[in-house]
Amino acid sequence: MSDDRVELLQGTLEMLVLKTLALDPMHGWGIAHRIQWMSRDVFLVTQGSLYPALVRMRRRGWLKTSWRVTENGRRARYYELTPAGRRTLTTQHTAWERASAAIDHIMGVRLWVSEGA
Amino acid sequence: MSMLSDLLLRLRAIVFRRAEDRELEEELRVHVEMEEEYRRRSGVSHAEAHRQAVMALGGVERVKEDVRDARRTRAFFDGAGDVRFAFRTLRRNPVFAAVAVLTLAIGIGGATAVFSAVDTVLLAPLPYSQPGRLVRLYNTDVRAPNDHGFVTPVHFLEYRDGMSSFASVAAVMTYDAVGADIGRGDRARRIRVLPVSADYFDVLGVRPALGRAFSRDDEHGGMNETVQPSRIAVISHRLWQEELRGDPSAIGGSIVMDGASYRIAGVMPASFVDPLVPRADAWTPENLDPGRDPSNATNHYLTVIARLRPTLSIGAAQAELTALATRLGVKYPDARDTRARLDPLKDDMVAPTATALEIMLGAVALVLLIVCVNIATLMLVRGSQRQREFAVRTALGGQRARIVRQMLVESIVIALVGDVAGLAVARAGMAAIVRLGDGNIPRLSSLALDPRLLMFSIALSTLCALIFGAAPAVRAARTRPGDVLRGEGRGASSGRGQVRLRGALVAAQVALAFVLAVGAGLLLSSFAQLRRVDLGFRSADVLTFEAHLPGSRYDSTARAAFYDDLAAAIEREPGVRAAGGTSRLPATGSYNSWGTRPLSGPLVNTKIDHSSLEQRVISGDYFAALGVPRLAGRLFEAGDDAHAPPRVVISKSAAQLLFPGVDPIGQQLRTGGITWTVIGVVADVALDIEGHVEPTLYHAHRQFAGDRNWALTQVVSTMGNVDAVAASSRRVVSGIDPLLVMYHPAPLDDVLGRGNATRTFTLRLLLAFAGVAIALALLGLYGVLAYAVRLRAREFGIRMALGASPSAIRSMVLRQGLIVTSSGLAAGVIGAAALSRVMTSLLFHVKPMEPAVLVVTALVMWGVGVLAAYVPARQATAADPRNVLS
Repeated sequence: MSDDRVELLQGTLEMLVLKTLALDPMHGWGIAHRIQWMSRDVFLVTQGSLYPALVRMRRRGWLKTSWRVTENGRRARYYELTPAGRRTLTTQHTAWERASAAIDHIMGVRLWVSEGA
Repeated sequence: MSMLSDLLLRLRAIVFRRAEDRELEEELRVHVEMEEEYRRRSGVSHAEAHRQAVMALGGVERVKEDVRDARRTRAFFDGAGDVRFAFRTLRRNPVFAAVAVLTLAIGIGGATAVFSAVDTVLLAPLPYSQPGRLVRLYNTDVRAPNDHGFVTPVHFLEYRDGMSSFASVAAVMTYDAVGADIGRGDRARRIRVLPVSADYFDVLGVRPALGRAFSRDDEHGGMNETVQPSRIAVISHRLWQEELRGDPSAIGGSIVMDGASYRIAGVMPASFVDPLVPRADAWTPENLDPGRDPSNATNHYLTVIARLRPTLSIGAAQAELTALATRLGVKYPDARDTRARLDPLKDDMVAPTATALEIMLGAVALVLLIVCVNIATLMLVRGSQRQREFAVRTALGGQRARIVRQMLVESIVIALVGDVAGLAVARAGMAAIVRLGDGNIPRLSSLALDPRLLMFSIALSTLCALIFGAAPAVRAARTRPGDVLRGEGRGASSGRGQVRLRGALVAAQVALAFVLAVGAGLLLSSFAQLRRVDLGFRSADVLTFEAHLPGSRYDSTARAAFYDDLAAAIEREPGVRAAGGTSRLPATGSYNSWGTRPLSGPLVNTKIDHSSLEQRVISGDYFAALGVPRLAGRLFEAGDDAHAPPRVVISKSAAQLLFPGVDPIGQQLRTGGITWTVIGVVADVALDIEGHVEPTLYHAHRQFAGDRNWALTQVVSTMGNVDAVAASSRRVVSGIDPLLVMYHPAPLDDVLGRGNATRTFTLRLLLAFAGVAIALALLGLYGVLAYAVRLRAREFGIRMALGASPSAIRSMVLRQGLIVTSSGLAAGVIGAAALSRVMTSLLFHVKPMEPAVLVVTALVMWGVGVLAAYVPARQATAADPRNVLS
């Protein structure tokens, strides 16, 4: 299954985390799995990249944390968006849509030269 | 698997320390648990789920460090964590920590203390205005221009009037006995008082902080006068504080010394230290009127210092002085061979100590070197010990740079703790140096911790720890984790290379320790030789003490009666053989000498080779008390008093010098302005501790009654109970005069030990350093061998399994130790040769490369080497070969 996985583009992990947290507060493992699940196993988020990203985002004031008890009775650190985090999500989402549309456009153009080759 | 989780637990314990780290750790742990649970739910077995979860975890170390980077905590907080971690690691290795800190403390403390002492005594300029212009003036003999004789009052006054080279010149009475009692009752004590000529403070260029210095008019009144129209004194800042509570109105007031009232003319600044008698507390004007004593042209007892005029060289001043002294030889026929010389005052003050201090400097440099080598060795050993830990951390994703940094922090922590301990050692060391040398080493009493030196040594030690800590850290971090974790292979062989390096370092330590030990051995053997010197008198079981007679209550007649009564009364006490007094104890150096001329015999009116002979004034049964045998004639009797014609007892060498080939008894000689008849001859006694003999004339104290005041040191020969006799003598003293105090009661042997202060001082310090050096070398040797044994445990196991006997294994290790020791000793011989050449001036009847000393020192070092090798050698065979091989 790991064969299908794709490296996350630089900088997109933070946006995905923000998106993941847009609905509910969540702990680290939950975030990683939610991203993996929502990407249909294309993106595998390792702790090695997740936790440093969480720390960075906390430092920027996008996230706040609290220790809560999970449904299975474990104490875990939950992350939740701050208003600044929500604003950032919106900004980044907009920027992403423009960028990705542009990339799609470029990638979608048919070039007769290459077809002939 | 369980090993891995165990490792993880341990790493967690080591690595996670701050609250945030603990939270992160908790977070990661929960993450793993959730992952495990998730996988278990999808049907994987419990164990497999755990394995997968841990695998998915990735490098916990890496995550942690990435998080820390992301947190971008300031380096300070990371550093603080490293420091805490370093402290904890060191607490877990108390032996390593203690040895490292102790080593550094000794190095830093010792170096700082000795450098401070050398700086204070040798290097710092004299604390007086334009100190380079200060000179000391000696009388010499035309035949012995290198003499360092005291100056006569006649000569001094001529120099004062006749030398244009001198801006000012002053004479000082530096006799040991010059002092005064002050205070009453419980607060009664004795202070040092220096009678000085009027210009003394001008020469030094120091003005009193309060009041005035002396003027020439003040010279007609002083300590030695029985009747004085006015007594004045300049006092030290300390005395002013202690006795007068620092009251400024004390100027013009009075202070009672020896029961007489002195008007206080001035108070010296707090910083002023007398260059000649550092502990002097008061200065009085000295009466130098030559008219009262025609013998003054041959009566050498003054210390003279002078300040040269600016821009004048000492050579030009010396030329003028020589010309003047030659003219004076014509003016005073008694002193026709007397010349004079000038030495820079500073050289003069430090010269006797310079060699000793330079040797100390060398010794401390050696110890510092050993300390560095030792620290390097320790760090190397430590680096190897921790290779496994580093390998695990690297394998788990730990960054090598962080490992190196942590090692560095550990080194710095060790260095800083060592610095603090070193500061304590430096303070204690300086106190010890002052105690050991006090009173005998000029300027030493002003020794203080120099902050610049302290900063320097701290910087040095930190640098040392950084360099020697970083190298093994880099090396350890570079090691391939796999090799180390497999436990054998390349790891072990590179370990052997380190053992060889460490062997060389330890050999260097042995060499340095050997050099120091040889130095100490040479001095020790000089001491033994000195003890064997026949001083010509009995010093064992002899009590000496002083009883100072205040001039206000004792004139010279009362003094004569007192000293006679005292000796007689003490002799009546139980346990006493004989008692007497002398103006100067034998074997404590020259004291005073008067020009002497035979008035009869073959040399009548012939100039004697010696311009002067030592003179002693004695009381009681002095010769009996010291066991000095009478060789001819008689000793002094009760009738030899002020009313009898002047009679003199002379030493054997004086008899040979003054009256060669004839019976000296009944011959006449002239000295001190008086004509004396020889009544007896006694055996020679040593003038100094090395056994040199000077012709000596002895005068009976009571013959000076009504003429001159002499202060006599008492000597009491006991039947072995010195302490008891000291107590009974104290009672006798206060029985005769309840106001008198007995000072400095001490066995004569102790007093003579003091007479050799420089050598004792050097010896004690050098012995201490040699002991430290040998201990450090022993530690180093033990450490290296113990480590080598651990590395070769497998090899030893194989050897023993193949039939090697334990004793063969042991001797292998012992041999290794002896090879290291021997190569160190071989190198040390070269260093010892260099050191002993420097030391020649301190040695007595000992060759610089005395074979006996070299052999004994080498044997001691070998013994130490065997001792250090023995424990590891036993460890080598202690392990069961089966365990090692399995």
